Amino acid sequence: MDEKQKLENSIMDKIGSGRVKLRSKYVFLAEKLGLGTAFALSVTLAVLFFNLLLFYLKETDNLKYLSFGRFGFLAFLESFPYLLVIAFIIFIIMAGYLLAKSDASYKKPFGLLAVGLIIFIMIAGGVLTYTEIAKKMEAEAYLGRHPAGTFFKFFVGGGTETRRLGIAGMVFEVGDNYLIIETPQGLRNIELKEGVSSQAEKGQFVIAIGNNEGQDFVAKEIRTMEKGEAPMIERGIDRRFKPFSGQEVKSLPPHLFLFEEEKKDCVKKCFDSGIDPRECFDQCMR
Amino acid sequence: MANTDLSDEQIVEIILNNDKELYREIIRRYQDKLSHFLRKFIYDKDEMEDVLQVVFIKTYKNLYGFDVHRKFSSWIYRIAHNEAVNFLKKTSRNGIFLDDLEYKIIDEKIDICGNIDNKMLKKEIERNIAKLKIKYQEPLILFYFEDRSYEEISDILRIPKSTVGTLIARGKKMLKNHLEETNKNHG
Repeated sequence: MDEKQKLENSIMDKIGSGRVKLRSKYVFLAEKLGLGTAFALSVTLAVLFFNLLLFYLKETDNLKYLSFGRFGFLAFLESFPYLLVIAFIIFIIMAGYLLAKSDASYKKPFGLLAVGLIIFIMIAGGVLTYTEIAKKMEAEAYLGRHPAGTFFKFFVGGGTETRRLGIAGMVFEVGDNYLIIETPQGLRNIELKEGVSSQAEKGQFVIAIGNNEGQDFVAKEIRTMEKGEAPMIERGIDRRFKPFSGQEVKSLPPHLFLFEEEKKDCVKKCFDSGIDPRECFDQCMR
Repeated sequence: MANTDLSDEQIVEIILNNDKELYREIIRRYQDKLSHFLRKFIYDKDEMEDVLQVVFIKTYKNLYGFDVHRKFSSWIYRIAHNEAVNFLKKTSRNGIFLDDLEYKIIDEKIDICGNIDNKMLKKEIERNIAKLKIKYQEPLILFYFEDRSYEEISDILRIPKSTVGTLIARGKKMLKNHLEETNKNHG
């Protein structure tokens, strides 16, 4: 028997004996469906994350720090949403990889398809900014009703977190060399460095750059902001302070800062019982 | 209708309708062609036959994944191409092996024979094709030695037809430059 015949027989024996079987057509169907679904999911998530990225830049204090020059740039870098950018890039790469694997890209130039895909994702993400979807996602992230909300909080939560080099919030009290502001984390004391002054009044929004020193923030530069310039910060403040709205809260001493979550209930109950707010803070926070 | 009158795609449809034995016809049609193709990358005969067997088995197993509206020959060459690449990666080898007269095809098409004697030229062509990146090697081999058209190469490598032309032209130019340098050194 010649070599050719031997190879042919060896393969046909394996097929005939059932050692080599056809893979089921349903496996191929499932693969195709799986690939299509994974591609659609990757594109959808890439669009959502691009939308969230635009939303973050527009609604937080992040970009505002750039107007402060070099130190502002450091505060900008500190508050930049790296996780959102990384997630966006990962989903774009995944979508591109799945596109290359799919029949849609068969014999088509991948470079052009990839550019088309990126343009589509950016346009779709941009168009989504005209809807309330990112705002709803932010609300869900803080309500914590759905696992998806918790997932997105991981990415947008940084928008209202404490920063080391910058701070933004609404003025609660104005002192000689200090301001007390409401922030999404609670009340914060801003010490004004020598030579730094602020014309901000109670109820106005301010943004400052400087450094955290203990529980205080020492400002190198401070500016007032128009309402609506950093809406995510404003909503964070609302979430934190809304339970006390309508109460007349007079000036508070600086040692009552960093209004922590677990103490909020105590203060709220105290407020509800009609006790003076300063006394409530003294009771609950000390 | 005799088996020999059937197209590859028709045979695949019949195999899928439960006539496994007809796969023998596919093996007969492609055994020589694929051996010839794989031989370019795998010099050892036994190793090449092992890879060829894997190609036929994988082809059979995945017959439901073949789109009968496309060309079967391109599909099976694609599987052979993937297996050859896997083999080269696994064994970390990178050589090209031409048949005794195959180098003449390159010599004729590129026309640089000059003063180099034939034995030397064959070795130099093999060495210089092996030096090219695999993305240039494969279109050159498929086009010049396997007589595949641009359309088929485009199907096998899953790249646009225009890219096939570009890769062949660039590969040919690089090969020509390498060979001209060799020619000078021997001149």
